[in-house]
Amino acid sequence: MSVFMDLNLNYTTDKSRMRSLIETAAHLGFSTVAINHVFEPTAKKKQRTCCLCGNTCLCLPQGRSRPIRVLNRLTVVMSDSSHFRPNAAEYRGFDLLAVQPTTEKLFHAACMLYEVDIICVSVTEKLPFFFKRAPVNGAVGRGVVFEVSYSAAIRDSTRRRYTIANAVSLMESCRGKNVILSSAAEKPLEIRGPYDITNLGLLFGLSDADAKDAVSTTCRSVVLHAETRKLASGIIYTMKSCTESSTPAAKRAKPHLT
Amino acid sequence: MVRLKSRYLLCEVIVPDRRHLLLLDDRAVAASVREAVARVHGDYGAALCSSRFSVKYLNAHTGIVFLRFPKRCYKLLWSALPFITSIEARGQSIACFLNCLHVGGTIRTCQKFLIRYNTQQLHRMLPKCKNEEEKQQVKKSILKCTLTKGNRKGLDFPSDDDED
Repeated sequence: MSVFMDLNLNYTTDKSRMRSLIETAAHLGFSTVAINHVFEPTAKKKQRTCCLCGNTCLCLPQGRSRPIRVLNRLTVVMSDSSHFRPNAAEYRGFDLLAVQPTTEKLFHAACMLYEVDIICVSVTEKLPFFFKRAPVNGAVGRGVVFEVSYSAAIRDSTRRRYTIANAVSLMESCRGKNVILSSAAEKPLEIRGPYDITNLGLLFGLSDADAKDAVSTTCRSVVLHAETRKLASGIIYTMKSCTESSTPAAKRAKPHLT
Repeated sequence: MVRLKSRYLLCEVIVPDRRHLLLLDDRAVAASVREAVARVHGDYGAALCSSRFSVKYLNAHTGIVFLRFPKRCYKLLWSALPFITSIEARGQSIACFLNCLHVGGTIRTCQKFLIRYNTQQLHRMLPKCKNEEEKQQVKKSILKCTLTKGNRKGLDFPSDDDED
């Protein structure tokens, strides 16, 4: 039974809604979810606290014995290269870092240089730039993944066309590797089960095996990549047992260039 | 020997409010699936749906549906299911979504999976039971779940079986 993860659940201030969102994800069979805090630098800059609802919701995912694991994630919507400052102190509180570039230069820089784990492909509008092979291959070599989120497609018909169009053009350049599919769900009714998402991946142009990987193995490699990114920046990362800190490096499939 | 093969999709209808589940009936579910397929895949999808698609079984208490699709195109029709956001039943629009649990070639394999799945659900409910009587009921239901030859006994569960 593979491990399914949904790495994009939108953060809302309504605690009961967050709780029901996580419970639905657990019921559907996801073993790990990540709460996404979207940060737009053009808006008033305010430091968001990343504490969850006490982490007391120990819901068991379907078919598993350990409670669902909830991670923190930050997405920075970048329209300018000064918006994302690497090694900023605020980013330490988050487990996963994602960036959503809006221009071609930023996309290139994000793929090759920035220390992020996930690059989001926007689904709400037609992309103003095309994907070139060179930065995409660079990102794949570094272990950075591309993310397509599907809940906009469920809500709205025009967004559905943009989602499919952007996803298909992404798959052409990256050949189906290093892609994750996730919901950007705000309500519990917008999440879908892992097998349904695998099937949606077929609509986007992935093959059967790649589509299943997009929900399971690639997500897991993102989480491990994020852990090694934390270790590599030189902070002391306390873990429960001292043997665990060496396993992420051994389990990683691709070498990580610091 | 030429045989017309189908795929049976075992789905669960998930609603935020369990009382709305009782309003469902198989024609409503079939209509909403057809409408979603037509919306997503257009006339081609609607045409594929018209030949051998049907709702084979619906359990309003637990929200389990068996859908039958022809084998040639079941993946395409399956890919339209995530886009269902509501089902029209008895004049009301119930907000829900379908979660696919299992794909099988025959109803019997789906039944076997359903029995294992329901047994797992009951096992998960056991620690949550509030008093001894509920515990006894749940344990009895677990022991009753067997697929005896030729009858669908395992599918008739007491309606208290998943109150989580």
